[in-house]
Amino acid sequence: MMEAIKLPVTNDAGYYEMRLESIGGLGANLCGKLLGELGAIYLGLNSASFSSYGSEKRGSPVKAYIRWCAPDKDLRINSPVETPHLLGLFHEAMAGKHPVTAGVDERTKVVLNTGLSVDEAREQLKLAAGELFCIDGQTIAMESKTRINMVMLGALAKASGFIPLEPVLKLVEDTVGKKYPDLLSANLEGVKRGYSEVTSKQFEPDGKFDEVPYQETRTRWGYENAPIGGVNPHIGSTVSNDLSASREGYIPLFLPEKCINCGLCDTTCPDMVFQFKEGEYKGRKAMVNTGLDYHHCKGCLRCVAVCPTNALVAGKEREHPEKKYFVRNKDLIAEHIDFEAAGPNSWITSEAYLDEKRVDGGLV
Amino acid sequence: MRVEQSVLFESGNELAAYAAKQINYHVMGYYPITPSTQIAEHLDLLKSEGAHDISLLAAEGEHSAAGICYGASTGGGRVFNATSANGLLYALEQLPVQSGTRFPMVLNVACRTVSGPLDIKGDHSDIMYALNTGWIILFANSPQAVYDFNLCALKIAEAVKLPVIVAFDGFFTSHQKRRCEVFQKDSDVQSFLGEYHPDYTALDPEHPVSIGSYMNEPDLMNNKFQLHKAMEEARDVIGQVFDEFGELTGREYGGTDAYKAEDADVLLVLLGSSFHTAKEAVDDYRKEGKSCGVVTTHVLRPFPAKELAVLCRNAKTIVVGDRQDSYGAGGGNLTLELKAALQSAGSKARVISRIYGLGGRDFYMEDAKELLDAGFSQDAPAFGYLNIYPGDENLEVKPYFHPVTEKDASLGLTKCERNEESGKMVVKGGLVSESTRMPKRLAPGHGACPGCGIPVNVNLLLRGIEGNVVLLFQTGCGMVVTTAYPKTSFKVPYVHNLFQNGAATLSGLVEMFHQRQKRGEMPKGKITFIMISGDGGMDIGMGSAIGTALRGSNLILMEYDNGGYMNTGYQLSYSTPKGAKSSTSHVGKYQYGKQFFHKDTPQIMAATNIPYVATVAESNPADFIKKAAKAQKYADEYGMVYLKALSACPLNWSDRPNLERKVIGAAVDCCYFPLYEIENGVTALSYDPEAKGKKIPVIDWLSMMGRTKHLKKDVYAQVVESIQEEVDRRWARLKARADSELL
Repeated sequence: MMEAIKLPVTNDAGYYEMRLESIGGLGANLCGKLLGELGAIYLGLNSASFSSYGSEKRGSPVKAYIRWCAPDKDLRINSPVETPHLLGLFHEAMAGKHPVTAGVDERTKVVLNTGLSVDEAREQLKLAAGELFCIDGQTIAMESKTRINMVMLGALAKASGFIPLEPVLKLVEDTVGKKYPDLLSANLEGVKRGYSEVTSKQFEPDGKFDEVPYQETRTRWGYENAPIGGVNPHIGSTVSNDLSASREGYIPLFLPEKCINCGLCDTTCPDMVFQFKEGEYKGRKAMVNTGLDYHHCKGCLRCVAVCPTNALVAGKEREHPEKKYFVRNKDLIAEHIDFEAAGPNSWITSEAYLDEKRVDGGLV
Repeated sequence: MRVEQSVLFESGNELAAYAAKQINYHVMGYYPITPSTQIAEHLDLLKSEGAHDISLLAAEGEHSAAGICYGASTGGGRVFNATSANGLLYALEQLPVQSGTRFPMVLNVACRTVSGPLDIKGDHSDIMYALNTGWIILFANSPQAVYDFNLCALKIAEAVKLPVIVAFDGFFTSHQKRRCEVFQKDSDVQSFLGEYHPDYTALDPEHPVSIGSYMNEPDLMNNKFQLHKAMEEARDVIGQVFDEFGELTGREYGGTDAYKAEDADVLLVLLGSSFHTAKEAVDDYRKEGKSCGVVTTHVLRPFPAKELAVLCRNAKTIVVGDRQDSYGAGGGNLTLELKAALQSAGSKARVISRIYGLGGRDFYMEDAKELLDAGFSQDAPAFGYLNIYPGDENLEVKPYFHPVTEKDASLGLTKCERNEESGKMVVKGGLVSESTRMPKRLAPGHGACPGCGIPVNVNLLLRGIEGNVVLLFQTGCGMVVTTAYPKTSFKVPYVHNLFQNGAATLSGLVEMFHQRQKRGEMPKGKITFIMISGDGGMDIGMGSAIGTALRGSNLILMEYDNGGYMNTGYQLSYSTPKGAKSSTSHVGKYQYGKQFFHKDTPQIMAATNIPYVATVAESNPADFIKKAAKAQKYADEYGMVYLKALSACPLNWSDRPNLERKVIGAAVDCCYFPLYEIENGVTALSYDPEAKGKKIPVIDWLSMMGRTKHLKKDVYAQVVESIQEEVDRRWARLKARADSELL
């Protein structure tokens, strides 16, 4: 048994706790698993790691939790990490839409994957306090042909203040390296760059932003007012989900002057985005494509692929903050909708996602 | 004598699989169900690497999985299975057969809440159904215990000739990775277990026996008394095996466990991983001078009543936390059993029961304290639920849409009439551009993955269906993504049922519709009943679908076939292409992916002689819409209709979401998924890629998907050849059928 590394800080119950916030398909699960293994096998600690669980959908919010304690201590807690010592945020765009910074205070070290500076990032996160670390995981991942989770792993190790780089590299060699030997040097490069290029700044609780308390999410239906049996009379209510964040950097752009109103886009769109209305085309009454309700567009670009006249083309979402022909769902009768962000923005990840392998039946 | 251990960082499921690998069971019959699926997945992965020799049989449902296990166990070898929740309940009928005829095996149950409403997460509502099955039930409260109990379970099972369940918390234990120790050498596991010498086997023609007698009273009484005696004997055997295991590993287990219980005024009794969490609460409260402790059991059957009563003897108040409710009994089963145990021991302690943690609701240290607080309070009610809330009384549910009514959806976009001369149905209309008029019966905002084929196929179908529709979805991605509470995508009536039973369920609803119309309780008029199922639902639900077809129920069954159980992380279905990798058909040195051909479901359904069977593909949308219209006519007036759509799954096919229509088109062009229809037994091709000179080799399609592109490699040439031959054979037969009305 190797000598265990000493945890510099623990909570009252004796645990050092980490939380990773991401979306399905970006490797936060694997990163969490690696951190768990790092503690158990490479740092000589007692260790646990687990994720938030749900149906296996790409683009769903994912949380990974890691708990470490001294090797001679039992690991007794199974519940999610409420007040992490170290928090990893895989997407800057999750900020504001999901309570990703819940449980953070000035003692927390927060690692954010972003191209922003630490000061800009604090604004974006509305971070009450804490030591904020920024790393441009996306750029590094693309340059080094690795994945964001490798870069984040390096940055998290550095941010912790006590995890040495060597065991992390050894871990990656033994695990990811064994599975994908061809990618090993790229992945090691990603970890190293994450470790060395992360920048940081301590923010004190200056009252600029409020702390976000850790809370269980509750729906407004409870045992007094929910229809019995789980019956749901609120027809079509998923329309209040804003799925913009599922897009991976691209959106379909509509060029109505090229549109022949063939309707093929509407047959291929899984998300019922296109708003065909009664109108006129070439002097005749016809169903006319008037635009898209981008709230529900997940950016799959099926429509672009089937459009016979290039009336739909792929555009980079960043270059189109104001979307033309953004048409509200034509069948809505509600005047106002409080949209709920469902599935945060994954941006463009390193191109590797199609080669991501399943581990344990889940996405890595 | 200690045997060497090594350290792993693995989850409860992985450790159950690891133990099974070390045991090298002869046979595992299983059916995937969250959260136990990883056990089979992990074993399949290990098998593809050549780590063990177990026959892994993916059944078409848990009932059959249990049957495979039972049959295998009568053959004198070692047998393994894993399940959860409704899977356990579906297999339940087989459990007393296994125990009653006294064939040992080991079943892992990663505990999960029983539907409905459907919830995939953990509680103990499934395992408590197994209390009366005559199985020994061990409950492991940590990943380490899952491993350890799996080794002990088989030894116990073979000693008393009873099957054993190793239960543990779904997700909390099944998925949480922990530092744990395992036997370094498989051979040490083998020597711990010793050899298995069955009393009887069905594989000994020299000594033939009849297994499964027909038995009347009073013999059955004697037979059950034998089972009772074996269960009583298990009390000692469990202790002996745990002791022997402790000597080898240093990991000591008793039938029960306790923490600071001896002098506690208030004792908490919990099952599973919550026991550990409660220790932290006890430590905190002890610091505040509160006298409390916590007790658990590692064994549910035989229930360690005496040991628990001894542990509880000094407590003034006992709070039992139940992760399930025996509705109407004043507590969950743990409460009821503990109360009985205390009564037998003459205890005067106050017992309070609290239901907590249903459906995977997390158990925090604060929750343990709340349970203890109830024990310290003098006026706490005897029974209650933790963490419930009444809801927001100011909530006003405002409609987003009008329902899609008959009037809205009767547009005459398609018209289907019988041609009196040919006797065939002819569809007029069905123009794709015009079909955009049809109001969408589903709202957007559902949670399908980007590029998912399911809503595409459902929408294409519904474009061709005029008037009222009632939908039924079987369990699967389509259901999960559209009805995540408190929201729903549906703007028309919708019912879900579990996927072994959708067709029967909808046929019951159709019957009620006819009855109520007949009795004048409902106005005259039409409703088209449509069931949507994945290909998984057509495996486990095949019997139900065939029964409904044979009864001629007026409904449309559309299968979206994405070739796998995608909702649970892509395990193979019988419709997965041969050679495809999935999480239960890994590609490795010793395995090339799925080992058998895709199921020809349309031909199976055609053999029921229903009036209309057709295949549809989004790559041919006009054909799709017309077939939908025809399907409506047949379903409304003649009987059941079966449609099958090949449905894209970018996530698990590992291809680009935007290219899916091309991938589907290629599947059609290579004749893997030919487009045809069978009207009143007469086959007609809807599209003949051969005649149009567009037929492509099947490998061209397989190469488009990450799940099958490994087949391009030379080493798999024979596999590809066999797929091509099978596809060609089916295509040739189809053409022959199209050429002859009699075939």
